[in-house]
Amino acid sequence: MTSPASSDRLAHDDSRSAYRPSWLAWLISLFSGTGGLIVKIVLLSLLNAMVGWAIIVLFTQDRVMWALGTLAVLGIFDFVYLRPNKLLPAKFILPGSVLLIAYLIIPIFFTINTAFQKYSTGHVLTKSEAITTNIEQNVVQGEKFFLMTPTRDGSGALVLVLVDDTTGQTYLGRSSGLEEIDPASVAVDEFGDVIPPEGLTALVGDELFGADAELADFEVPLEGGGVIKTEGISGAYESEPGLAYDSARDVMTATDTGVEYSDNGRGSFVSPDGDELVVGWREYIGFENFTAVITNPLVRAPFLRAFVWTITFAASTVLISFAIGLFLAKLLDKPKFRLKKMYRSLLVIPYAVPGFLSLLVFRGLLNDDYGLINKLLPFDTPWLFDPWWARVSVILVSVWLTTPYFLLVCMGALQAIPGELVEAARVDGAGRWQVFRKVTLPLLLVVVTPLLIASFAYNFNNFNNVFLLTGGGPSSDDQSVAGATDILISYTYKLAFEAGKGQDYGLASAISIYIFFIVAAMSASGFLRSKALENMK
Amino acid sequence: MKKQVAKLVAGLTVAAFAALSLPTTSGAAASLRIWADADRKASVEKVAGAWGKKNGVTVTVVQKDFGKIRDDLKTVDVSTAPDVIVGAHDWVGELAANGSVIPLTVSKSAGAKIPSYALDAFSYANAKGNKVLYGAPVALENVGLVVNTKVAKVPTSFSDMVSQALAFQKKAAGNFGLVIPGGDAYHNYPLFSGLCGYVFGKDAKGNLNPDDVGVGNAKLLANAGDVDSWNKSGLLSSKVDYGIAKNAFLAGKAAFWVTGPWEKDTLDKSGLKVQIVQMPKNKCDSVPFLGVQGFMVTKFAKSHGVESQARDLVGSYMLSEGAQTQLSSENGRAPANTDAAAKIDDALLKQFAAAGKGGVPMPNIPEMSSVWGDLGTAWTNVFKGADATPAKTAFRTAGKNIKAKIG
Repeated sequence: MTSPASSDRLAHDDSRSAYRPSWLAWLISLFSGTGGLIVKIVLLSLLNAMVGWAIIVLFTQDRVMWALGTLAVLGIFDFVYLRPNKLLPAKFILPGSVLLIAYLIIPIFFTINTAFQKYSTGHVLTKSEAITTNIEQNVVQGEKFFLMTPTRDGSGALVLVLVDDTTGQTYLGRSSGLEEIDPASVAVDEFGDVIPPEGLTALVGDELFGADAELADFEVPLEGGGVIKTEGISGAYESEPGLAYDSARDVMTATDTGVEYSDNGRGSFVSPDGDELVVGWREYIGFENFTAVITNPLVRAPFLRAFVWTITFAASTVLISFAIGLFLAKLLDKPKFRLKKMYRSLLVIPYAVPGFLSLLVFRGLLNDDYGLINKLLPFDTPWLFDPWWARVSVILVSVWLTTPYFLLVCMGALQAIPGELVEAARVDGAGRWQVFRKVTLPLLLVVVTPLLIASFAYNFNNFNNVFLLTGGGPSSDDQSVAGATDILISYTYKLAFEAGKGQDYGLASAISIYIFFIVAAMSASGFLRSKALENMK
Repeated sequence: MKKQVAKLVAGLTVAAFAALSLPTTSGAAASLRIWADADRKASVEKVAGAWGKKNGVTVTVVQKDFGKIRDDLKTVDVSTAPDVIVGAHDWVGELAANGSVIPLTVSKSAGAKIPSYALDAFSYANAKGNKVLYGAPVALENVGLVVNTKVAKVPTSFSDMVSQALAFQKKAAGNFGLVIPGGDAYHNYPLFSGLCGYVFGKDAKGNLNPDDVGVGNAKLLANAGDVDSWNKSGLLSSKVDYGIAKNAFLAGKAAFWVTGPWEKDTLDKSGLKVQIVQMPKNKCDSVPFLGVQGFMVTKFAKSHGVESQARDLVGSYMLSEGAQTQLSSENGRAPANTDAAAKIDDALLKQFAAAGKGGVPMPNIPEMSSVWGDLGTAWTNVFKGADATPAKTAFRTAGKNIKAKIG
C-alpha cells in the first residue's frame, strides 16, 4: 500500500500524461497529501465538536446510555481516521456501518422492544412519572381560593400574601404556617394588584421568573391538615392530598377511604374492586401483544382478511405489471419500430411522476359522481364506494404505477439475451411463440425473478397506494378497524393510531413483526425458486 | 506526525466547539412557547402577547395543524416542547391519561363566569370520580341547521323540514334538500340524538361512563326505521361529502345545510339569506355535539421553569372577559365567558350559539376514538342508496364493535 504522499504524486504524474484519472481517483486524492490532511483535520474536528455537543445535550437530558453510546462511536471514528494506513478498510466501511446501525438496526431493536410492552394511550410514562402524575391528579381541592402575591421577607424566605376570594380575609402564608393579618394592612392598587404589607417585597420580573419552581412547589401547611398551594403567580387554593405512595409496599393509598391500589404487573395501579388509576406506565408484558393477534377475535378476523387481501394485492400488482411491461418491452424491442424513443419516454411517464401525485389524481378521477372516468364511461361504476370495486381500483392504480418499472427492466434484460440463441432456435424450426416460451422467457426470468420478488415484498408493504387512494376504505361489512382495501401495514397503522382507546403501539409493533416474518418467508421461498432457474442455465 | 495531527484535531475541536456553543449562551429571560393552529395563531399572538407584555414574558406562538398539536405532543423533545397548547376539549381524556397536561384550579369568581358544561368538558374524572380541570375553555362551537330562507322556510317541525327538503329536491335536477357530510358522526349527531341515540351515558357522579354505550340502544333501534326512509326517499346520501354539501348550499342548490360557525365567514360572503336554528325535534331533541376549545398547560412547563407563569396565563388571564372578547372577535366563535358572550353582536354567531341549546359536549374520554370510526361507518352504510345496510343492523353492529373495543 502506498503512503498518501506517494499516491498524491502518482495522481499528479497521471494528470500530466494524457490519461485522465477517474473521478473516484480524484476524490481519493482529495483526501491525500497536505491538502487532504487539512481537509481531514477540519472535518474530523467539526465532527468531534458537533457530536461532542450532542453528547452534552444528551447528558443534560439524562439519556446517559445514549450519551455513552455516542461517545464510544465518536471514539471509534477518531481512532480509525487518526491512524493512517493501518486501518484503511475500516475507513471505508465505518460511515456506512454507523448509518446502517442508526437507521436500520436501532429502529428494529425499538420495534421488537415495543412489541413486548404495554405501550398505549394511558401507558406512555415511566412508573415513577406515573406515580407523581397520579398524586397530582388526585389532589383534593378545598373550599377556599385566594388571590395571591408572592413576596420575600427580610431573610429572603418566600411569603405569600393571600386574600380570600369570597370573604376578603387576608393572610400571610409561610412555609411554617398560615397567619391571619389585618385586611387594612394590605392595599390593592388601581390595577387590582395586591400591595404587600411593610417588611415584605413583592416578587416581580426576573425575580419572579427565577422563583418559578420554588413557587410551584411551595406549600403552606394548615393546622387541620392539608396545605395551601399556589396556582400560577396570582392565585392559591386550599388542598389536601388524595393519594399517597408507599414505596416500601409499592401501593398507592387513598387518603380518605384507605383503599389501596396495587401494581397489577401490567402497567397500572388497580384497587381490589378493579378500579384503575387514570395514569399508567409502560410495562413489559411478555408475548401478550403477539397472542392477541390469535386469541382476540377483534384483531384476528380483520388480520386474516387483510392478510388474504395483501397477498392478492401484491401478487396481482406484480404479475399484471410484469406481463404488461414485458409485452410492451417486446414490442419496443423490434428494431423497425417507428417513433420508438417517443413511445418509450411516454410509457415511462407514470414512473417519473411522483407516486403521491398520481395517487391523489386517481382518487379524483375515480370519484363515483364527479370523477372523469365515470363521466366518460357510459355506465356508472362505484370505483371507490363498493368494497370489490375499490379493490379493483387499488390494483389498477398500482399496476399503472408499477408497469413502467418492469418495462425498463425487461427492455434491458431482453437486450442482454444473446441474439444467436434466438437465431439458433429459429434455425431449428421453432415458432415465435415457442422461441419466447422456451428461450427468451426462461433467460429473462433468471434476471427478473429477484426483482419480481423484491417488487412483491415492496407492494406487500405499499402503504402509500392504499392509504392515499382509498384510506383503506370503504368499510367492510363487519365494520371493523380494517376496511375492505386495508393491507396489513395500513391495518397496523390504524391499530397504532386509531384503535379502541386511542393508540396501541405495542400491538402495532407485534403485528409489524409478524409482517416481517411473512415477507421474509415468502421472499426466501421465492429466492430458492430463482436459484433453481439459475441452475437451469 | 501522528501526534501533531491528533493535537491539531484536538485544538480545532475545541475551537469549533466554542463557536457552536456561542449562540446558546444568550437569553435567560422568561419565555413561553404556545402551540396554536393557523386559524388561531394571530389572535393568540395578540392576546397572549398582551399578557406577556404586562408580565415581562416573551411569548412565542408556534403554528401547527390543529390535529398535529395533539399528536406531536406525544413525541416532542423537551427542548422544543410547548408550555401551553390550544386544544379541543375532547382531547382531554387522552392527554390526562398520558400525563401530558397538568391539572388547574381556577378561582371561584372566574369559574362562575364559565358555563359549567364547558368546565366539565375540559375536566376528566380521577380515580375517585372527582372532576379534575385540565384546561381553560375559551370558545364554544356547535353545528346548526342553516336554512336558505330564499327557497325554504324555517321548519316548524321535523316532518316539515323533511317535506320541504324533498319538495325542493324534486324541483330541479341537481337540487339537494338537506345536505350533511356523509359518514360523519359529528355532523350527523343532530339526526342521531333526534332518534334518541347517545354515545356514552353518565354514572352517578355525572362522569361519562364508557360501559354505558348508547350507540345501538333499544330506543334508537326502535326509531331506526326513519333512517331507512330518508335513504329510500333520497333525502340523504353518503356520497355527499363536505365539499359537495358546501358547494351545493352556496350555489343555492340546497335548502338546508348542517354546519358550524367555522363557515360563518363563507356564509357572510355568500350573499345568501340564511337563518340558523337547531334542527327541529324528531323523536327526541335533535341537539348537536358541543365543541369547546381552550388552552392547556403541558407537563413541559414544569421542566422549562415557567409553570407558574403558564398557569397564570391559562387559568386566570385567558378566562377573563377581555381576553375572550378579543379571541372571539378574531376567530368567529362564541366566547365561553358569559359576560363576553352577552356582548356578541354578530347575528350569525348568536344564531349558531342558540342552535347549541341543550347540546351534548363531545365525550372526552379516550374510548371516544373508537366511536368516531364505527359510528361514522354506520352512517356511511345506511345512506348508500340501493345497497344500504338497514339502520337497525348498522347501529347495532357499531354499538357491538364499540363495546368490544373498549373491552
